[in-house]
Amino acid sequence: MGRMSFVGRRLLQLVPVAVGVTIVVFFMIHLIPGDPALTILGIHATPQSIHELRQEWGLNRPLISQYWFFLDRLAHGNLGKSLIYGTPAATLIMQRLPPTLWLIVYAAVIAILISVPLAMIAATKKDGIRDQLVRAVPLLGLGMPTFWVGFLLLTLFGVTLRWFPVGGYGTGFFGHLHAMFLPALTVAIALAPVVIRSLRASMLSVLGADYITTARSKGVPGMRLFVRHVLRNAVIPAITVLGINIGFLIGGTVIIENVFSIPGIGELMINSIFQRDFPVVQGVTLVFAIMVVLVNLLADMTYASLDPRVSFDR
Amino acid sequence: MTYRTHALKALTVIGALVLMAGCGSGSGGSSTGGSGTGGSAGAPVHGGNLVFAAVQDAQSMNATTVFDNNSIWILEQIFQPLYTVTNNGKGEMPWLATGYKVSANKKTYTFTLRPGVKFSNGKLMTSADVKFSLDQNRKATKGWAYLDSAIKSVDDPSPETVVINLKYPWAPILADLSLFANGIVPDNYGGETEAAFYTHPIGTGPFKWDYWHKGSALKLVRNPYYWQPGKPYLNSITWTDVPSDNTRELELKGGQAQIDQTPAWSTVASLKSTPSVRMDLFNSTQTNYLAFNELRKPFQDVHVRRAISLAINRNALVKAVLFGNGKPANSLFPPQVPFYDPSTPGYQFNLAEAKQQMAESSVPHGFSTTLLIAAGNSDYLTIGTILQAELKPLGIKINIQQLDPNTANADFQSLKYDMSLTLWTMDIPDPDELATFAVDPTSGARSFFTAYDNPLVVKDTHLAEKTLNTAKRQQLYNIVQTDAAQDAFMAFLYYSPYPYATTSNVHGFYVTPLGNMHMENVWLSK
Repeated sequence: MGRMSFVGRRLLQLVPVAVGVTIVVFFMIHLIPGDPALTILGIHATPQSIHELRQEWGLNRPLISQYWFFLDRLAHGNLGKSLIYGTPAATLIMQRLPPTLWLIVYAAVIAILISVPLAMIAATKKDGIRDQLVRAVPLLGLGMPTFWVGFLLLTLFGVTLRWFPVGGYGTGFFGHLHAMFLPALTVAIALAPVVIRSLRASMLSVLGADYITTARSKGVPGMRLFVRHVLRNAVIPAITVLGINIGFLIGGTVIIENVFSIPGIGELMINSIFQRDFPVVQGVTLVFAIMVVLVNLLADMTYASLDPRVSFDR
Repeated sequence: MTYRTHALKALTVIGALVLMAGCGSGSGGSSTGGSGTGGSAGAPVHGGNLVFAAVQDAQSMNATTVFDNNSIWILEQIFQPLYTVTNNGKGEMPWLATGYKVSANKKTYTFTLRPGVKFSNGKLMTSADVKFSLDQNRKATKGWAYLDSAIKSVDDPSPETVVINLKYPWAPILADLSLFANGIVPDNYGGETEAAFYTHPIGTGPFKWDYWHKGSALKLVRNPYYWQPGKPYLNSITWTDVPSDNTRELELKGGQAQIDQTPAWSTVASLKSTPSVRMDLFNSTQTNYLAFNELRKPFQDVHVRRAISLAINRNALVKAVLFGNGKPANSLFPPQVPFYDPSTPGYQFNLAEAKQQMAESSVPHGFSTTLLIAAGNSDYLTIGTILQAELKPLGIKINIQQLDPNTANADFQSLKYDMSLTLWTMDIPDPDELATFAVDPTSGARSFFTAYDNPLVVKDTHLAEKTLNTAKRQQLYNIVQTDAAQDAFMAFLYYSPYPYATTSNVHGFYVTPLGNMHMENVWLSK
């Protein structure tokens, strides 16, 4: 099977995943108590005004009928309108998606930039002081709550040194690169220890392989040996670890978005749940599901590209 | 060697990009300072973008239907009413009208419009715009129409005159007209649909619409046609959505925002002593209450309600929740509301008397009950924990039920609770709105969702609405406040101010007790 058909088959898998997600989310969000009409009307709500709003939104119809209506709209590429803002849910989501994607990609890049050199340093001197330090120090990042790390970085680099903005997403490519550095670093600090450990273990395993001994005996220089033979083979499990963690990250950016005041999709999700903005919750969940599937697909493809023994057949 | 060089290059490129970004573009919406005519901190200067770090995003700009304060405080910069609230929050002053005459039967008010007032699109405001605006609000049955219910009709006999005909003499008419929902929009929404108009609203206020990135930032820019000469001073205001208390504070200290809305009470003292920050506690009409559901036993028993009210140490609540930045409440009305009676005998902490009331009640040996609060509200959780301890000597065992805010609100409003915490802020400078909401069981709110029903209090409340003599009205409201306090239908907990922190280069910022802000007076020094 070729690469394209592999991608096509995996993308087709999105359909049952998406449908499953919509069913679970739709019924969960509709069955929990609470009412979006109350969000709009607040303390001035009357039974009459609540009834009128629910009627206007179609929320007085049976749940099954509402779900069918949702699916019908979805099939036409329409996620519905936000009950709170009155604007299309798709527009809201598309406005909030780029900051979250920036955060995830930027954090992954920084995590890789931190992890690869440190894992190499650790693996070259197993059980030495460098190795012990690399194994121990990053664990602090894993142990500290991300919001606390975020506030520490904000206080030092945002308030005291004023190198970076305290919050926001920035404007333009360089603006984003600048404004998103601290949040991405915060995420990377939590992500890197897992990747470092995985990469170090793989490197140690690869370093003991016969082909490395052969390469050494043929006189391949140290760094070239490390990058071309060791790293390329050792990075495969680390990519899986990174892919899984990014998958978790997609649904878990809300804390970082809150701390750094980033107008991302995680915060939109939480606010929409609290406000019972059903179309937005459903839309965001769908986007999350698609993103997780795509990240895993990307990890698999990278895996196959790096390892010629892996084919796209299965 | 080659690979080391590549790795170094990669790191260098990333570092350079980050550095370039830092030098080149800065963050979104972080500009401060004025670009105007200069001058000392004493003389207002023009220019600058003010960033207002808000707790949450606005919901809607439709003034006739929105109830959310964050939306209201923004849209008040766009739309203006005929009369506006005075700075002490207890009266009204002419705004888009210059004055009025009232007929002998007190049912016809003739307003003269301020000459030369223009909308932000440059068109002159006329009586047709006023009539349309008031009529739209009167139609907003899911919105603020109920506050205009005394209005029978609105006429526009000439471009500069508006006549409001009332169904009956109505004391709070000017207060009602000062409501933001009675702000003036162009006749027929300038030819647009209502929905389209409110996506880029046009008004006579000091600022006009620029953009709204929902959930992120909303920006208004200077209205060049504003009717107050020389104002507003700012070029623009950007409201950013910063839910985290800590981040708002850091943005203020980092110079990224100039106003921090509602800093955490625990930080007020430290912000007061921060050199580059000004910490203001503006008088407000916010009052916090403990509501009793009289549909559930034993809260229909006045002795139980009194006992609980007497057992609450309000000073301890003020100290624990507001860090001392508030006052114990004695009345249904807050002190910043007209006709507030400082001598209202609202129950204060007296454990001996509380035990006495409990002994006279239907449950002299105590009972178990539930306190419903919104999850995530740390202030409410603190109050709940204190109440648990304070009511224990009466034999009352409180289970705190934390539900997510929407569910807690739904249960409260449908009276599915025993006790709950709630609060109120005024929308108009008259007690009528609160009094009717709080004590009339036939109103939509069913006596603040307590089912409290004292026909005498209801009668006096409605009598006060139609009593134009100020002294007589004061007498009636004194009786209402006294009766409501003695009935203890809610325990009046405390009055709290509005906390706002600003950078020291912000001048002219003031918040009325109703929460209104006249941003046209605000300027930034260099």
